[in-house]
Amino acid sequence: MRSAGAVGSAIVLLILGCAGLGTPPPDALSRSSPRQAGTEAVAPAVPPPALPGAPPPRVETQGGLAAVPPSSTGPAVPRPAASVRQAAPPVAKAPSKSAAPPASAAQPSGKGVIPPEIAKPKAPPLDLASLEQRLEETRAIGVLTKITLKNQVDDLLDRFRAFYQGKLETDLADLRRSYDLLVLKVLSLLQDGDQALATAIVASREAIWGILSDPAKFATI
Amino acid sequence: MKTPASASAIAMLTAACLAAPSLAADDEATRRDLFAVITLHGLPCGEVVGVATRGENDHLATCKDGNRYRVFLNAEGRVVVERQ
Repeated sequence: MRSAGAVGSAIVLLILGCAGLGTPPPDALSRSSPRQAGTEAVAPAVPPPALPGAPPPRVETQGGLAAVPPSSTGPAVPRPAASVRQAAPPVAKAPSKSAAPPASAAQPSGKGVIPPEIAKPKAPPLDLASLEQRLEETRAIGVLTKITLKNQVDDLLDRFRAFYQGKLETDLADLRRSYDLLVLKVLSLLQDGDQALATAIVASREAIWGILSDPAKFATI
Repeated sequence: MKTPASASAIAMLTAACLAAPSLAADDEATRRDLFAVITLHGLPCGEVVGVATRGENDHLATCKDGNRYRVFLNAEGRVVVERQ
């Protein structure tokens, strides 16, 4: 079980990225524009329509569409998130994808501000801790298989390390192929026994590559 | 009137019947695990049909296509697959 725990951690090192992805400050999350909200992948909760005169429902959102407090004359109508940013409490979520634009570029919040475009569908956040835990606990993969995957993950990380140190004559395209192959192996083992985890890994695939392909981020692994 | 010996035999048989499904499940899980390991190493094995355990994390797998592999964990913590 100890070896399984180590295996899960090693698998996560590749698949899930480094621990350097910190949670953005709540203020940045609450001020993020819908355009940036595309990188923060939590679907906002849509509260039920409120009765006229009822207190406005509490809305948690990181951006994107969300239900707004109803006017005094009618039920709640979904509007872009900018108009409810002032009512939205800060939400601590997993860090956004590495490709997310900085929060400082967020549009200023204000009443009645409508973003120029509706938020695009967001990719799910890279929740490293949750994925790591699920990988360790999944019964879809046996212990020896987990250790084998760990070995292959370590080998790939060694190749990345050697590449960034200039000791390996290869290119990122070749490393990308190796990475894709390893992810496919993991997915093929999980897809029947643990479809939810396989889906989560697919969703995190590009975010993890973003970390591996960046020398600065890779160095923090 | 049942003798103590027959009562013991019945008890043992009952215990064996109850344990048989769990043991079969473990064998099935081990076969699947070994098959996955062999496949991850890029070696041919249509299906693992027999497993002989030689020790902790040391197995001899017999494949449906006739290949036999020793799958074990070496001192460096790496899973090794050797064709027999």
